Amino acid sequence: MLSLVDISKRFGNVQALDGCTFTVARGRMIGFLGPNGAGKTTAMRTVFGLAEPDRGEALWDGRPIERTDRLRFGYMPEERGLYPRMRVGEQLEYFAALHGLAARTARAAATSWLERLGLADRARAKIEELSHGNQQRVQLAAALLHEPDLLVLDEPFAGLDPVAVRTLVEVLRGEAERGAAVLFSSHQLDLVEDVCEEVAIVDHGRVVATGDVGALRRASRRRRIELQVDGAPPEWLPTVAGVSLVERRDGGLRLLAGSDVEPERVLAEAERAGQVVSFDYGPPSLAELFLELVAP
Amino acid sequence: MTGRAAIALVARREIRERLRSKVFLASTAIMLALVGGTTALEGALSKNPTYRVAVTAPAPPGLAAALRTAARPFDDGKVRLRIVATPRAGRQLLDEKHVDALLLLGGDRLVFRTNVDTKAAAIAETAVRTLRHHLPTSPELSTATLHPAEKTDDAATIVAYLGSMLLLMSLAIYGQWVVTGVVEEKNSRVVELLLSTVRPRDLLAGKVIGIGLPGLAQLGLVAGLAAGLLATGVFDAPPGLGGSAALVVPWFALGFALYAVAYAAAGALASRQQSSETAGQPVTYTLLAVYFAGYASVAADAHGTLANALTVFPLSAPLVLPARSALVGVPLWEHVLAVGLVLATIYALVAFAGRVYAHGLLRSGPRLGLRAAWRLARR
Repeated sequence: MLSLVDISKRFGNVQALDGCTFTVARGRMIGFLGPNGAGKTTAMRTVFGLAEPDRGEALWDGRPIERTDRLRFGYMPEERGLYPRMRVGEQLEYFAALHGLAARTARAAATSWLERLGLADRARAKIEELSHGNQQRVQLAAALLHEPDLLVLDEPFAGLDPVAVRTLVEVLRGEAERGAAVLFSSHQLDLVEDVCEEVAIVDHGRVVATGDVGALRRASRRRRIELQVDGAPPEWLPTVAGVSLVERRDGGLRLLAGSDVEPERVLAEAERAGQVVSFDYGPPSLAELFLELVAP
Repeated sequence: MTGRAAIALVARREIRERLRSKVFLASTAIMLALVGGTTALEGALSKNPTYRVAVTAPAPPGLAAALRTAARPFDDGKVRLRIVATPRAGRQLLDEKHVDALLLLGGDRLVFRTNVDTKAAAIAETAVRTLRHHLPTSPELSTATLHPAEKTDDAATIVAYLGSMLLLMSLAIYGQWVVTGVVEEKNSRVVELLLSTVRPRDLLAGKVIGIGLPGLAQLGLVAGLAAGLLATGVFDAPPGLGGSAALVVPWFALGFALYAVAYAAAGALASRQQSSETAGQPVTYTLLAVYFAGYASVAADAHGTLANALTVFPLSAPLVLPARSALVGVPLWEHVLAVGLVLATIYALVAFAGRVYAHGLLRSGPRLGLRAAWRLARR
């Protein structure tokens, strides 16, 4: 299990992390969310010793992380990096060997991952000859070759087409099922909601929410109301206290209400204004929860 | 995986990249061709040498024929004989380099310009003895020179200056490779991935070893060829000189270990926009400065205090010691002291550069000054 315990890190005037604490258990996949500059990358880099915390520490199975532990970790950095002029296959074998795999095992792992990611025919190509998407796949393979116990991926979905997103989701699920602890950051909140059972949300270097996505949504002090009312005046809005407009779209309304607001009162007002075609009430989506938690 | 295994992996990758690099293979071929070509040229020129000898009139009959016969065993040499009216006229010809030697039969003297050419002297000696039907009991001719002998031995000078020039170039070129490699890893951000498994000092060590070994092999080939040619006497050089030429190789290893570590630190401190050429400049300038200081001091007085000091000073020893050793010889204690000081400096520099390297590599901001680097390293 990976635990980040009360980690603080300051770069000059910027407090990148401020008592950041959360855990990732083996076999679990956690989405790491937060606005730009919230400290996600810094938190991930402390796991690999690439950023030295001013306070707090990253633990693996309750012990401070050693170099030998890191050999069993897989990492996909925010800024992708591979040797531009080195061949794909050789490069993967090299990284596998750096993680302690014997030459033969390293070669087998490289071949098998290239096949799985649809790059088997590019093993002898140089990285710089690959498209951006294919470079990204090689980068992913470099993190996975050695069957890591912990997989940390910084924005792995950024810049991927829908097919590649699907492949990556399957790969990450497979890794979690194999028993790896998986932590990845993303701005694609709908995707995270689909893929992860758990999230950790950071803002200004602090974890503002962590745990099961459903539980977090239900614990929100807000509720989402979506309704469509035919025949209502164009500017019509319910006048119930604690209800605010999010947006009007396709003749429908998206509203935000406090969790103490009774939805029946909104529905009653809508029925008075026109014919209610649809009415949907529930906890906020992950995206709405995110905005609630990190709004300035 | 142990640190040593990581160093070996990193070094192996560097070596493989070098051996595949066309630049590396081409430069090896060019250096070998230069050394071999010089030898071939020297050999071609020394075939059928012509000895130009002046003699005062009247020349004894048969002298020209006797000289030609005597010259034949010397690389099939030829002799061109000129008859001059007076010794004075002969000296003038000699001084103006129209002839190589002046034979004054009256005084049984053979006069050269500055240095005695032993082959020409032997030819003249044999020819005169043949003419006089003398048995080879005592020398017929005494040799003299018009001017005092030029101090330095030509071959030693060539070994000294070519050797130190070769060292300077190799250190700068392979050092630049280190910078390029470090800057590439930093700029392509692959270093982030590397440092998540490899310790910075292991990465540094692997890189320096992996670039140094192909360099050492290249230089070893070239210096080995040169030393071999010197030893087999293709050049007209004292036999000890081959050893001085061979000294270039271990001193490259020491010098490279010293400067490559500095180059690596300079590369790590570079900003992302900076090219690897400018990143390595501070180290290259240092290298050039000690080279010229060494050159100037040895040229001025190879036995002087400054030359002695630069022989053992760690930054200049790799360039100055082999050169001085070829020119005037260096006592054993200076060798030992120089090696000891260089090793101590490498040890200190590795400790310092290892920390600078780690901090520098993971920073993406502007170029770090040396003072900032020092602060980082002490943290």
